[in-house]
Amino acid sequence: MEILNVALTFFKVGIVAFGGGWSVIGLIKQEIVPRWMNAEAFNSLIAIAQSTPGPIALNAATLVGWQRGGFLGALAATTAVIAFPLLAMSLALAFSKYIPLKKNLADESLRSGSMAMVLMTLWTLLPHTTLPMPWIFALASFAITAFTEFNAVWVILGAGALNMLLGALH
Amino acid sequence: MKMPAKAKGIPKTVPPTPWRIFLTLAKINTLTLGGGYVIVPVTGNAFEKQGWIKEEEFYRIFSRAQVFPGPIALSTSFLCSYRIAGVPGAIASVFGVVLPPFLALILVGGFISLYGDTELFKRFLNGAGAVVPGLVGSMLWRTARNRKWSVRTVIEVIVLAVLLAVFPSAAFFILIGGIIVLYLGRLIWKS
Repeated sequence: MEILNVALTFFKVGIVAFGGGWSVIGLIKQEIVPRWMNAEAFNSLIAIAQSTPGPIALNAATLVGWQRGGFLGALAATTAVIAFPLLAMSLALAFSKYIPLKKNLADESLRSGSMAMVLMTLWTLLPHTTLPMPWIFALASFAITAFTEFNAVWVILGAGALNMLLGALH
Repeated sequence: MKMPAKAKGIPKTVPPTPWRIFLTLAKINTLTLGGGYVIVPVTGNAFEKQGWIKEEEFYRIFSRAQVFPGPIALSTSFLCSYRIAGVPGAIASVFGVVLPPFLALILVGGFISLYGDTELFKRFLNGAGAVVPGLVGSMLWRTARNRKWSVRTVIEVIVLAVLLAVFPSAAFFILIGGIIVLYLGRLIWKS
């Protein structure tokens, strides 16, 4: 029933996956740490999901599914995470004439919601340690990606390579 | 009168069959790193170049797609493909967006199962994971800078974020309930 559990978890994630991949990462973490992995493994998983092609929430779902239940697990998690969004869009296309949703108001509400989600994501991802290394890596990557147009993927791969080098020096 | 079809800047039209839509999206989603907000403009370009949709129309659909949950690359591609090729197009778009990353991640997952336990690879993953909080921080910084803030939106974000931090296990319900409450609040008091 592991696969069913994975599917259910990512179905829930799909319902509130508003405002770009990063906002939903905190919620995914809430759901799977420490149930299925520790915080450090989760960060690595997100780094992989971000540096592979495709939307990050989708990639995270596929990877977690793969780790929990192999190919079928990956298939279940991926399908589950897009199930609700596809359903919602199909219904909206079919019934758009009858839904009196005010788009501007909905937009602003969702923007606030996803902003709060990103804050939560940031809060749950902050290093829970006084060791300098995780803080230095996090602050340096913030400075690079917030103030330059450097692609985040290179920051991720570079940090991995740098940490490998540091390990080899010791 | 001459046909202007060959004039510069006029896109040549390829019929938007479901198969073509699938191929176009699959190519983009295989080659584009960096998540939805990088993928969407590339998709818009490709659709426009093939003469399927005008740029303004594409971005109009993109802004509507943001009301829906799910990866923004998926919802934008889905709604645009429905617009240009109906239900078969929409179905093709789902496979085009989802299949390439799925296969890529299966490969990566297999690779990690094989080499994940080696010391060197662990160090790589730890280093890569350590930058993630910084990336989230910069995403927050950029969205915050680009938003028009008012007293109302600041309060909305703070209240929701505090609720999420205090009751993390209810995050799912706080978000759904919170967004509905914010929407109704805006309907009632327009400020």
